[in-house]
Amino acid sequence: MVESRKEEAKRRTDQMVINQGIQPGDKVLDLGCGRGSLLQLLIQEKQVRALGVDINPGKILECVKKGIPVFQGDVDLFLGNFPNQSFDRVILSRTVEHLQKPGRTISEALRVGRRVTVGFINHGFWLNRMNYFLKGSRTINDVYPDPWYESAPVTFFSLANFEDFCRKKNIRIHARVCLDANWKNECRILPNLLAGYVICDISK
Amino acid sequence: MSIIQTDKEPWKAPDNVGHVIPCDYEHKKPLKFDNGQAIQEFNIRYETYGKLNKDHSNAILICHALSGDHHCAGYHEGETKPGWWDNMIGPGKPIDTSRFYVICPNCLGGCQGTTGPSSINPQTGKPYNQDFPRVTIGDMVRAQKILLDHLGITHIHAAVGGSMGGMQVMQWMIDYTEMVGRVLILASTARQSTQSIAFNEVGRSAIHQDPNWNKGDYDPDKGPDTGLAIARMMAHITYLSNRGLESKFGRDRKQKTQNLTDVEFEVESYLRHQGQTFVNRFDANTYLLFTKALDTFDLYGQKDDLRHAFQNVTARILAIGFISDWLFPPEENREIIQSLLKLGKNASYAELESELGHDSFLLETKEYFDLVRAFLD
Repeated sequence: MVESRKEEAKRRTDQMVINQGIQPGDKVLDLGCGRGSLLQLLIQEKQVRALGVDINPGKILECVKKGIPVFQGDVDLFLGNFPNQSFDRVILSRTVEHLQKPGRTISEALRVGRRVTVGFINHGFWLNRMNYFLKGSRTINDVYPDPWYESAPVTFFSLANFEDFCRKKNIRIHARVCLDANWKNECRILPNLLAGYVICDISK
Repeated sequence: MSIIQTDKEPWKAPDNVGHVIPCDYEHKKPLKFDNGQAIQEFNIRYETYGKLNKDHSNAILICHALSGDHHCAGYHEGETKPGWWDNMIGPGKPIDTSRFYVICPNCLGGCQGTTGPSSINPQTGKPYNQDFPRVTIGDMVRAQKILLDHLGITHIHAAVGGSMGGMQVMQWMIDYTEMVGRVLILASTARQSTQSIAFNEVGRSAIHQDPNWNKGDYDPDKGPDTGLAIARMMAHITYLSNRGLESKFGRDRKQKTQNLTDVEFEVESYLRHQGQTFVNRFDANTYLLFTKALDTFDLYGQKDDLRHAFQNVTARILAIGFISDWLFPPEENREIIQSLLKLGKNASYAELESELGHDSFLLETKEYFDLVRAFLD
C-alpha cells in the first residue's frame, strides 16, 4: 500500500510528538518501521541507535537505502529472541492495529524496552461512530481508502479500549498526547470522542 | 548495429568489464594453517576490475563459493562464457566497477591457480595431494589478507560473499575487524547444518570409493572422475529446489529408452552434464578439502553462542536469505543477524522470494540487485 502525501503530512505531527519523548543517544526499536522515516528523523534529531523491524521487503529496501539497520520478519518472532530491557524505547506507531495478538506483542515490547510508545488511530472518533450509526458502515477515508473486501485485516480500537487494557494489565501511562481529526493540533477535551490519533508513552 | 555487435562480442557491452587477465601473487614466505601445519610458499591467483582510488577507500573483496573461482566478471580472451558473477559486477551494475575496485581471489587450497593439493610441493617436486594441510575458512581469509597487504589495501569498503563466500566474509569481519567497512552475507550460515554435512559426506564417499582414487595420489589425468562427477551431481541438487527443477525440466523426456542406465529424463541429462563439466575444471582433493572446510566451520563455538564470535565486530552488515534455499535456509541467515543485533551491532536482514533454491544468490532479480546496490552505496 502506497502512503498518500496527505497521510504522510498527517504523520509528521505524530513523529514530532514521538521525537519529544526520546532521549539523545537512546537505543530505539521501531516495530513496523515501514520506510524508516521516523527512525531517520530520530537519528537526525536525537542521534539514536536505531533498529527497525518490518515484514515488507519493499520497505526493507527503503531502510537499507537510508542506511538504517532493519530486520525483515515477523514482529513477534523477532521480540521473542531478545533479552529483557534491550532497548531504551520501543515504538509501535500505527502497528498495533495490524498485530495478530496485540496484547501479547505490547507486553513483549514492554519486556524488551524500558519504555514503549504506542501511536494509534482512535476508532472512538465521532465520525467513525456516526458512520456506523447512520450508515451502518465503516469509515472510508485517506487512512482507510479501500473497501472492506480489499483491505488487510485491521483491529479497530478506541482510546477508551486502550486505557482499559492498560488498567487491566497494570501498564502505566506516563504521558498521553491526543491529536485532532487532522492529527495536527492537540485535542484536550473529550478525546475518546474528538481525537483522531493518540500517542501514549507507557511502561510496566 | 551496435546491439548486434555486443551480441557477438558481449565483452564490448557498456556494462561489462571486458577482457580480463588473471594475476598471480607469489608469496615467498611460509604460511601457517590453523591446524599447525605450514607450507613454505604459496601462490594466490586473483582478478581485479575497476580502479583503486587515491585514498584506497573503494576496494570490494569478493569471496567465492565452493565451486567458484577468481574469474567472477568479464571474459577471458577467446572465451564466450563470462565470469560466474558477471550479472552482478560491471560498470553500472550493483557492484559497480566504475566506482569500486573489485578484487576476487581464488581460495587457498583451490585448483584454479591458487596453491592447493594439485600444486607441486617444492620440497618433494610432486603434487601435495593428500599432504596439503587441512584448510579452514580462517586459513582462506588469512591468505586473502596477505594478498591485500601486497596490493596496498588497508581498508575494504565491503566484503561480499555467498554460501562458502559468506562464511569467509564473516571470518573477515571477525579476524580483521578494523579493516572491513561493510559485509554482505548471501545465502550463508554461521555453522554448517548436520544435513549439509551429511550431503557432503555422500559426495566425499563417491570420490574415495572411485577405483582411481588411489588414496588421493592419483595421476592428474586419471583422477577419480566418476566419483567427483557423482559428488557434483548430488551437490547440484542441493543448490536448487523442487519447484525450480520442476519449472526448469518438469518430467520432460530426452528419449524413451528400455535401457535402465540410459538418460531418459531431461533432468538426468542436465545433471550428468553438470557432473562431466565439473570434472574438467575441478580437482577431487580440493573438493574434499573445501567440503571439510565448510563442514567444520562453526562460529557458535564451544559455548554454542554466536555472540562470542561477534563481540568485537564493527562493520555494517547485511545478510540476505532466500526463501527456497534449503541448504542454507533463511533461518540460518536470520540467526546471524539476530545475534549481531543482540550485541547492538549495525546489522540488517532481508529475505527474498525466489524459486531456485540456494543458487538464487547468483541470479538476477530486481529486488535483490536493488538491495545489493543500496547496501554498497
